[in-house]
Amino acid sequence: MIGRRVLPAALAGVFAAPHLARAGGGRLITVGGAVTETVFALGQGDSVVAVDSTSRFPAQAADLRQVGYLRALAPEGLIGLAPDLLLVSEEAGPPQALAVLRAAGAPLTLVPDQAGLPAILRKTEAIAAALRQDGTALARAVQDDWQALDAPIAALRPLRAIFVLSAARGAPLVSGRDTHADVMLRAAGASNVVRGFTGYRPLSAELAASLAPEAVVMMDHALAEAGGPDALLRIPALAVTPAAASRRIVAMDGAYMLNFGPRAAHARRDLAQRLHGAALPALPARSWT
Amino acid sequence: MIAAQAITFRAGGRALLRDVSLELAPGQVTAVVGPNGAGKSTLLRVLSGELRPDQGVVSLDRRPIGAFHPRDLARRRAVVSQAVALAFPMTAREVVGLGRLPWHATPGAARDDAAIAAALDAVDAAGLAQQRYATLSGGERQRIQIARALAQIDGAPRPAALLLDEPTASLDVRHVGTVLRLLKRLAADGVAVMVVLHDLNEAAFVADQVAVVAGGWRNALGPAAAILRPPLLEAVYGVPFAGGEGALRPDFSNPASYRVPTA
Amino acid sequence: MSTTLALPLPRAPRPVALLPLAVGLLGAAMLAGLLLGPARVGPDGLLAVLAHLFGAPLPAEYARDAAVLGVIRAPRVLLAALVGAGLGAAGAAMQGLFRNPLADPALIGVSSGAALAAVAAIVLGGTVFGAAAGLLGLWLLPLAAFLGGLGATLLMARLGSIGGVASVATLLLAGVAVNALAGALTGLLIFMADDRQVRDITFWTLGSLAGARWQHLPVILLLVGLPSLVLCALARPLNALLLGEAEAYHLGVPVESLKRLAIILAAIAVAAGVAFTGLIGFVGLVVPHLVRLAFGSDHRIVLPGAALLGAALLVLADLAARSLAAPAELPVGVVTALIGAPFFLWLLRRSHGGFGR
Repeated sequence: MIGRRVLPAALAGVFAAPHLARAGGGRLITVGGAVTETVFALGQGDSVVAVDSTSRFPAQAADLRQVGYLRALAPEGLIGLAPDLLLVSEEAGPPQALAVLRAAGAPLTLVPDQAGLPAILRKTEAIAAALRQDGTALARAVQDDWQALDAPIAALRPLRAIFVLSAARGAPLVSGRDTHADVMLRAAGASNVVRGFTGYRPLSAELAASLAPEAVVMMDHALAEAGGPDALLRIPALAVTPAAASRRIVAMDGAYMLNFGPRAAHARRDLAQRLHGAALPALPARSWT
Repeated sequence: MIAAQAITFRAGGRALLRDVSLELAPGQVTAVVGPNGAGKSTLLRVLSGELRPDQGVVSLDRRPIGAFHPRDLARRRAVVSQAVALAFPMTAREVVGLGRLPWHATPGAARDDAAIAAALDAVDAAGLAQQRYATLSGGERQRIQIARALAQIDGAPRPAALLLDEPTASLDVRHVGTVLRLLKRLAADGVAVMVVLHDLNEAAFVADQVAVVAGGWRNALGPAAAILRPPLLEAVYGVPFAGGEGALRPDFSNPASYRVPTA
Repeated sequence: MSTTLALPLPRAPRPVALLPLAVGLLGAAMLAGLLLGPARVGPDGLLAVLAHLFGAPLPAEYARDAAVLGVIRAPRVLLAALVGAGLGAAGAAMQGLFRNPLADPALIGVSSGAALAAVAAIVLGGTVFGAAAGLLGLWLLPLAAFLGGLGATLLMARLGSIGGVASVATLLLAGVAVNALAGALTGLLIFMADDRQVRDITFWTLGSLAGARWQHLPVILLLVGLPSLVLCALARPLNALLLGEAEAYHLGVPVESLKRLAIILAAIAVAAGVAFTGLIGFVGLVVPHLVRLAFGSDHRIVLPGAALLGAALLVLADLAARSLAAPAELPVGVVTALIGAPFFLWLLRRSHGGFGR
């Protein structure tokens, strides 16, 4: 038995610095929806051998090996896939598992994964750099598309909206400040009326009534889980809102709407258009959307 | 050797023992008798050191019993309580073996096997050794518990003490005899024996001195022949005892009498 | 408190046979844990790494094998063995102490206290612990969980003893109260948590050995290994407690100090283990019963037996957790229950069949 005989410290020294990374190309594991989308948008999708469970786009990614949920990564499982590069969203965890991966010399690169245009540009740049690719064209295209929407959306009347993460049981979970949903709502010409907290919290009927949202935004699968629009609007917290009166519920693919990857500008346009019922200028078709 | 001086013990605001004094001398069997709820078991538990009296002192060889480490106490006195149930299954021999615990890591531990065997023999339970304690009858369990206490004081420096709470309650007549004779032998061997009994005939047979306890008071103390007599018993038990010599025998057909039939 | 005999009686005890058997089982489990797993290491890789351990240079193509064996699996297997041993020994000691077959380390508040503190570290981490979080880094969560587990147990012991005497019934009720309080506070923190933190909390409560590092092992050795050994040394007085507290006292056991010592040792062992792995159920409850069913109730057998068997079970459960869903990983607490519960039921039924014949 290795461990019983030798002092742990000595062993740690023996195995301290194996360098497994081989730069560029090779076998790639991507963790995080935006990371995966960006890698595919950079044309490196063929190198990806495995993705996490939040990487559902593009369709080829969904067919790859699954390494599980991004907050519950498995060090040995990842190393067992013999990756040349592990591109991992900074949202991934647990931190202890990442520490083990680093200690084992795994070729791990953490990628910033925030919401908003500057964040998209940062993550594109970081991923391109890790892949030894030129990411400027992609970053420029996303920036152009995003900024093309700024003026038309600014011209719309800001809509009072809430984002409902899930409503399958009990009080609906809504997004507060500092969430990807909050950033996307505001980018799409809505004001997220939930300002009292950060993260996702249950919404009480009283609070909903006082916030008086005019629109409810959801991920499409969450709306399906909640039993569709009719069931959703029967939930007391939502039944009292103007959004229920006007039946203004917008459901979109979650990854599309909230990943803040290369498709973010298109998602912004679609969301704004459906929220406001107004026609916005079409964006150029991009190979990655 | 074990002496209680003016013991008062209260629980839940009620005095279970009041000003009780009693001395257990080596070489003597002390029988404690009295009605249900008189405080006999409480007295035994106070004398064993298990319960601390509110007033008064219990001493072993003139030293307060609370000053002993439980282990040192256990090498001098053993206790047989009423109906002991096990938390997890064990064999009878394992239960008896627990009596050797105070001798662990002492030269006395070398005697463990002999002490266990002798103790089982003494209560006529050698054949039960490998049985599950839980499958034994009440009387068999009682004998095993007595054997456990015997094993505990086997090889103990004399004087040692053995306190038993109704050890004959579930025994058949044959084993009542076995146990009572055993107690007499132990006393002869220099052990101070205290035994709580309900059967007055058993007390009369085994006791050198008899203590009568009622209502928390020690009503009487003295040689068996002097104590176990109808007038005193009538006062304590509240039923008439018909007089006469010989065995004290209840007449259950008469709700108000405990007859002592004449031959 | 003698509510026990619903459990089947064991067959005749064979005390001598168990310890070598359990040591062998643990050895085999640890070897399997080291050699098997989703990252395949061939015999050539194993030989190269072994040679490297004794000073030979490591060929570059075996660097990955060395990392898998030396950095990932070896500390993980050792952590699993130590934590499993701690859970097994603590569970056996608590069942003996409380004279209750349903007792397990959760009863003394240690799990719920550790969970409360771990959840606090997850939810409040950066904001409240601020500077401490930065300083402690990855040690914040384990440290919080350890202190939380120990603190809850001390609180329970305090609340449960009246006038210096800790009656088992009062202790149990104090444990229930502490568990309820910790559960409520944990619920409050979960309410404050965002969605991601809730996920982290969920995974923490299901247990994982994925974070095992060599650095943890000295701490674990000291805080799990040592208390488990001392618990094993309490076998004789715990045996006396099988007869009841009064009888144990009559047999020379200082019952109150035994209770305090056993509870604190169990709390340290479990809290320190849980601190690095998250909650792992089943081992502390059922492993001692497995040992009793097969080998009798003598704590001189039950305590080391439960420690060794708990270690082997957790090592194997972790191997399964790593392998079954590879390259993802199952929560190890789920695996311990999935392996253990049916096995326990089978043993229970089999022993019932033999009962009374």
